Amino acid sequence: MLPYFSKLGSKMKIRCFDQKMFCTSAFSPLQLPSRMETHLWYVLPNEVKSQSLLSQYVDLLSPHEKDHVFSMRGDELQKSALLARALVRTTISRYQIHSHVSPTSLVFRKNAHGKPEVIWEESDDWHPPPLHFNLSHTSSLIACGVTVGSPIGIDVEEKQRTMKNRILSFAKRYFSREEVEVLSAISDAEVQRHEFIKLWTLKEAYVKALGIGFSGAPFNTFTIRFRAANSRPEDSTIAIVPLEKPTNLTTNWQFAQVELAGTHYAAICRQNDGFPGGESMKVIVRKTIPLVEENRIDSVDDLS
Amino acid sequence: MAAFTATSTTTLISPQISRQCLAPTRISGLKMVSFSNSGRSNLPVSFRRLQISCAAKPETVEKVCNIVKKQLALKDDVSVAGESKFATLGADSLDTVEIVMALEEEFGITVEEESAQSIATVQDAADLIEKLVEKDSA
Repeated sequence: MLPYFSKLGSKMKIRCFDQKMFCTSAFSPLQLPSRMETHLWYVLPNEVKSQSLLSQYVDLLSPHEKDHVFSMRGDELQKSALLARALVRTTISRYQIHSHVSPTSLVFRKNAHGKPEVIWEESDDWHPPPLHFNLSHTSSLIACGVTVGSPIGIDVEEKQRTMKNRILSFAKRYFSREEVEVLSAISDAEVQRHEFIKLWTLKEAYVKALGIGFSGAPFNTFTIRFRAANSRPEDSTIAIVPLEKPTNLTTNWQFAQVELAGTHYAAICRQNDGFPGGESMKVIVRKTIPLVEENRIDSVDDLS
Repeated sequence: MAAFTATSTTTLISPQISRQCLAPTRISGLKMVSFSNSGRSNLPVSFRRLQISCAAKPETVEKVCNIVKKQLALKDDVSVAGESKFATLGADSLDTVEIVMALEEEFGITVEEESAQSIATVQDAADLIEKLVEKDSA
């Protein structure tokens, strides 16, 4: 029995009708990702305009989260922070892990290095699945990645994002020498900017997956290396190369890069042990308006 | 509070540490406070042994504010001051690193990742900058 969702289901029908929205069967049971899958959910703040919906989101939040949302400077940032928390809470609850799990009942904490995680209520007869999540947001898109059995890190950036510093100066200061060489070899400034942003998202996704903070894995202590297309198919195409010996950086991670909504680059990083033949990550993307609708995006441009 | 003589050009030190530093002398560690009466302090002994460390100069805080405003393209109605938090101003990780790099260039310093990670407010950044500048010139 799923008391929370059946109550919401009937409310949702009325809302749909009023707003003339096409609602997919948003609340039919949704399977957790298999150990080979990563789920990527995203919301576009521009598509969430209803004040009553936004106040429903506020009602989902813990007091601490509300304080945080309202401490943001300006309406747009508050909305973005609110959507991020609403997305995480509704997404995790969406898997209907247990009848006691609802968007409001979830409890979060940060690990020793500031990475958010869920605190599950365990009992003798229930042990939660090893669900992991990670959030990333820009002003125009908020994303949440979900895995089972592996830590996950994601990062999203706007494709059109411009840098205030010169790209190669920035890369020389923060990236590895090999990465600077790869970027320097790109003669077209616009292509270089796109490749820089994609590289940033990959490095950021890795560090977030590790969960040891920015200082635990400084960007210039590892190279993200792209293996040539003619290498064996079972080799992963993106490798992490630690540059210091000894290193605390692990390398059994795999990446996926996707383009979202035509406007954003996203990088996903998760562990790759136990994958037969080193298959590339299967990513299922869903665009959502929390509590209202979700749409599976089938043709996602996989950039990797 | 013990009474002591002060000329009109000096600033009284109260037991509460204020953000206003005695200009131009910075107080740190166990250094004596110098007044205009030829460097001899009229302060009672207990005050001279006080460890007082100052927050960053207002000019430093202002430079940081300007760099932050530029990086985040903040509208004029968004006020930025020492207590402003980078996160609540909308800085994401790439913005924060860009800000740190701009600060490095502006002040001629190098900020290690561990230090950068502890910066939450504009004031934190300004204090760190002055610490690094002082270390470099030592």
